[in-house]
Amino acid sequence: MESGDKVWEVFIQKKSGLPFKHAGSVHGYDKKMAVQNARDAYCRRGEGRELWVVPANCIVSVPMDEAEAYFDPQEDKIYRHPTFYVIPDGVENL
Amino acid sequence: MDKFEAAFNDIIAKDLKVEPRDWMPEEYRKHVLRQVSQHAHSEVIGMQPEGNWLLRAPSLRSKQVLLAKIQDEGGHGLYLYSVAETLGMSREEMINQLHAGKAKYSSIFNYPALNWADMGAIGWLVDGAAIVNQVSLQKTSYGPYSRGMVRICKEESFHQRQGYEIMLHMARGTKEQKEMAQDALNRFWFPSLMMFGPHDADSAHSSKAMEWKIKRESNDQLRQKFIDKTVPQAEFLGLTVPDPNCKWNETTGHYDHSPFNWDEFWAVVNGDGPCNTERLDHHKKAHNDNAWVRDAAVAYAKKTEGSLV
Amino acid sequence: MAITIDKEQAQFLVRLADTEMILGQRLCEMCSNGPFLEEDIALSNIALDLIGRAEQLYILISEIEGKGLSADDYAYRRNEREYFSIKLVEQPNTDFAWVIARQYLHDVYVKEIFTQLLSSKIDKVAGLSEKVLKEITYSHVHARDWMFRLGIGTPESNRRLQAAVDHLFKYAGELFAFDSIDKKFLSDITKLEQGWKSAVALTLAEANVKQPEIHKIYMRDYREGFHSEYLGHILSEMQFLPRAYPDAKW
Repeated sequence: MESGDKVWEVFIQKKSGLPFKHAGSVHGYDKKMAVQNARDAYCRRGEGRELWVVPANCIVSVPMDEAEAYFDPQEDKIYRHPTFYVIPDGVENL
Repeated sequence: MDKFEAAFNDIIAKDLKVEPRDWMPEEYRKHVLRQVSQHAHSEVIGMQPEGNWLLRAPSLRSKQVLLAKIQDEGGHGLYLYSVAETLGMSREEMINQLHAGKAKYSSIFNYPALNWADMGAIGWLVDGAAIVNQVSLQKTSYGPYSRGMVRICKEESFHQRQGYEIMLHMARGTKEQKEMAQDALNRFWFPSLMMFGPHDADSAHSSKAMEWKIKRESNDQLRQKFIDKTVPQAEFLGLTVPDPNCKWNETTGHYDHSPFNWDEFWAVVNGDGPCNTERLDHHKKAHNDNAWVRDAAVAYAKKTEGSLV
Repeated sequence: MAITIDKEQAQFLVRLADTEMILGQRLCEMCSNGPFLEEDIALSNIALDLIGRAEQLYILISEIEGKGLSADDYAYRRNEREYFSIKLVEQPNTDFAWVIARQYLHDVYVKEIFTQLLSSKIDKVAGLSEKVLKEITYSHVHARDWMFRLGIGTPESNRRLQAAVDHLFKYAGELFAFDSIDKKFLSDITKLEQGWKSAVALTLAEANVKQPEIHKIYMRDYREGFHSEYLGHILSEMQFLPRAYPDAKW
């Protein structure tokens, strides 16, 4: 990357009420340019009503080595899911 | 085999996606990177032959449609550069490789666009061939590439129709227009078939790429798919495919074709095509002449957003 | 056959239509020539807005004139003396500073015009102005931000922007040489001129660019179809196919 040419991750909200969704990334030298570039690259077909850009190097992710430690312990906590509980026939709206 | 390699093999076997953070064999990374970089550069260099007719587009509608299409190609180049960046290669490095002649792009763009019907032929045949390839690549095993392809296929669905519409106008127009249409088909037919690359038996990278599910269908399979759907479209236009052997074969259930001129193909790939130098020089010039603009943007950001991470 | 424009309302609108058309064509030249990919895409978006706007205006002109001519007829079948674009937008893409300065000076001007046209007595003109103002507002922000980047960025970018502004200001004078047609369809010409001058002065000052004087104009006005030599070349390229094959439909 040329010095100062930053990569920004782009998040788009399609309609109010919906979550922001990662769309891809875009290059830009400053904040205003980044958000304008994101609009021109990712919203050419009316894909969005709101946009976020975040410097790619500000995103923190789980280290690959620790991924199992982060995520696997949740798999056996089945009592967190509604299907874990048995409700007799005849009980409604539960 | 360690647990990471086992995880990678499992992803491939189960048709799941490899994500940037996952472990992958170095050769897999290199292969995806080479393919994505070539794909990205093809989109960007592909802006030039159409750009050659943008200023002369003969109606307000055709000018807007063509510009929107070229702009999409720039956008698709951008998406693909982003995919390559997830594999650790910066866009600047890719551009340097392109300028140094180390990175390739599809050699179809080294052919000149000589008349307005070429805008039709490029959309119909060149984009048509690219779409056959890209539809197949939606199922590629590298996650960001696959997602990029889904987005690109969605956006490109108008490109081929735009091309065919121009061909239709030309083929049904005046005598001169029809001649331009036939001329464009004559020049673009074989080069677009060769876009799919060498025959399977001669393809250097294909087998490993298929095994890793980077490519999902072989060059010859994709090429045949394209021929089979395109020949009837040419007939509908009342134009003649410039290959006397291009006939329906009852036994194979496919259209036959003459042998391709691979000498020409390799000459163009290796730099001897009609416009290789021009395409690369054009890109270099735009990039180098504007270095001061990028410097200004860097300096401005430092002065106004000094503390921004 | 020369295409004349006879109704005053259409004569007023064709000035805008031709200005947007020619600037759109100039920006098309930038396609694949931008400083980096994102900016290339941004300039294409602005060009698409400009050409689409010209087309809408030609359609309106055609309706007002009632001669059965199409938008394409107006764009493709008039020669340079029958065109009424401002000279500012005919100026070439000498470098990126020219592209930006030209765009900025144009955007401020047409933003003022379409704002006044919001209250036009013709519904379609008022409606179009509402749509168009959103596009121009975006383009204006984009151009103004680049004015700051280039003006403040490096000594070289400042020098290039200054040179572009110095040249382009030669064509600022005619923007305000309003004639009776302008006066008839614009609600407040004084406000237009002052609005442009104060906005531009502010931006140039903030961008560290010296504001050139606006000279009294000795050249003839675009309102008489008097242009820079560039326009003939722009049109000969743009109109080549319809002129070479007059019977063809595209």
